[in-house]
Amino acid sequence: MLKARLTKMWAYAGMGLVLGIVIFIFIYIFAKGAGSIDLEFLLESPRGAVLGMEGGIFPAIMGSLAFTLTAVVLGGIPAVATAVYIVFICKRSSFENIIRGVLQCIAGIPSIVLGLFAYSFLVRDLAIGRCILASSAALAVMIMPFIEARVEKSLREIPQQMLSSSYALGCSRGYTVFHIALPYVRQEIISALILGGCFAMGATPPLIFTGGVAFSGVPQTLLEPAMALPLHLYLLVAQGTPSLGAAYGTAFVMMAVILISNALATFYGRRRRWK
Amino acid sequence: MGKKLNSAFLLIITVLTAMALLVLAFVIFFIVKEALPVLETAGLSELLTGSRWMPVDYGTSGGMAFGLFNFIAGSVAVSFLAIVISSVVGLGAAMYLSCAAGERTRAFVYPVIDLLAGIPSVVYGFVGIVVMLPLFLKAGVHTGSCVLAAGILLSAMLLPFLVSSCSDTMLRAKECYMPSAEAMGISKWYAMATIVLPASWRNILFSMILAVGRAMGETMAVMMVIGNANLFPNILGKGETIASVIALEMGTAVVGSAHYHALYMAGLILMIIVFFINMGIMLLRKHLLNRGGAGNA
Repeated sequence: MLKARLTKMWAYAGMGLVLGIVIFIFIYIFAKGAGSIDLEFLLESPRGAVLGMEGGIFPAIMGSLAFTLTAVVLGGIPAVATAVYIVFICKRSSFENIIRGVLQCIAGIPSIVLGLFAYSFLVRDLAIGRCILASSAALAVMIMPFIEARVEKSLREIPQQMLSSSYALGCSRGYTVFHIALPYVRQEIISALILGGCFAMGATPPLIFTGGVAFSGVPQTLLEPAMALPLHLYLLVAQGTPSLGAAYGTAFVMMAVILISNALATFYGRRRRWK
Repeated sequence: MGKKLNSAFLLIITVLTAMALLVLAFVIFFIVKEALPVLETAGLSELLTGSRWMPVDYGTSGGMAFGLFNFIAGSVAVSFLAIVISSVVGLGAAMYLSCAAGERTRAFVYPVIDLLAGIPSVVYGFVGIVVMLPLFLKAGVHTGSCVLAAGILLSAMLLPFLVSSCSDTMLRAKECYMPSAEAMGISKWYAMATIVLPASWRNILFSMILAVGRAMGETMAVMMVIGNANLFPNILGKGETIASVIALEMGTAVVGSAHYHALYMAGLILMIIVFFINMGIMLLRKHLLNRGGAGNA
């Protein structure tokens, strides 16, 4: 029975460690960051001899919001369309394989290389300059396979009888997709978009060369560069001790956003399962 | 909805998909196009096996050199380390979730573990710098930055994926074999160790390899704690990965120079490695599925 006991110990230790890591990271950041959070921190621009010693992170919050929303719009719409296409419209499996191959390939591109692409092609070749749009394009390419996979999975989990009934009643494919399938998975789509947004919000590499800057005001249009929370955190950490307090505060804000978004996504995405 | 609207809707979906596909294909094409010119300066064998990296000619002996070997080795080493650590911990958690936990516990624990996947990688890097590096420093590692620190950080980032895919596999195997095992009076954990684990072994291995693919491209967290020195990776020494060399040097590379193209080539190599891992697993899985096999479905 030694084997059984060892396995049991392994299982409990593993589970304990995993939960321990989650709890540790959140509590650590929340405990250390809570001291830096006040109204000034949330609503003012960073200041100080070493940037971030005083003031707040307001432009970074607004910047991140702009990056994320643009990326979700740019990446989410084609992602949902592609998922619908693969599940309901595409008939030839060779074509499906091509789409899948391209998506696989894109999912395998490290985000830093996507940042490179956006820099060389959008910022340099098309000369739109360093701006939110260029970064968001990179972010959109990054989150598209992620959203597509989730939406496709939920579309495949629609009970077949529902679709067959719709077809049997003489409804066309377009009608079935638009009025039966999409409403049925609406919540999962929303949850996929939220998680995709989180993924985009936390990503730093695509911003480094394309549209993220160390200091700017609140962006007014998509054609100007902006600050972003993850990039700001990276720079604060790189500056060392003087701005460490602000770094904890910035991490606090990001973790709070992650926690809330994940809670929302779980709440929306929970589908009753008949098992 | 009229018939016209209907076909318009289908058309829009098709057009959007085609557009998305074209854009994505263009991204891949563009990266390849920007990477290839470096071959005029450095041969493929120098890129892959050389360990001297001198992207700008300072007039020192030897001139420019573009050996990516240490960076590739760094990426592989960090990913491998992360997978080993993550698998040991993650398999345990997966066994707990599939065997000891009830439906309700699972419904609560999965979203909590998924939180780990949502944490931005800079936050991991930040926690690594302020919590882990001082520990390594105390243990006698110079400056604290080392390959092991990066591996540990990365392993935490891989946990959600490994736990969920492994526990899925094990749940299926358990549903398949556990009733018979119970009927024979074998204890739950003994059945877990001798039946369920061996039966799900193949799929667990697949998940581990897929996770390597994910680990290779990770930039920020690894870059913040690995020390970024062009050395052959040593577990307690510094190293540098492909992703971090791109992130650190692209800002200073002259556009169109050999340095610039070499960095694209580094990205392309990373991309190809990850792509082959993903494709290989997909084909292998299909192949094995076609042959069938219990507990493997």
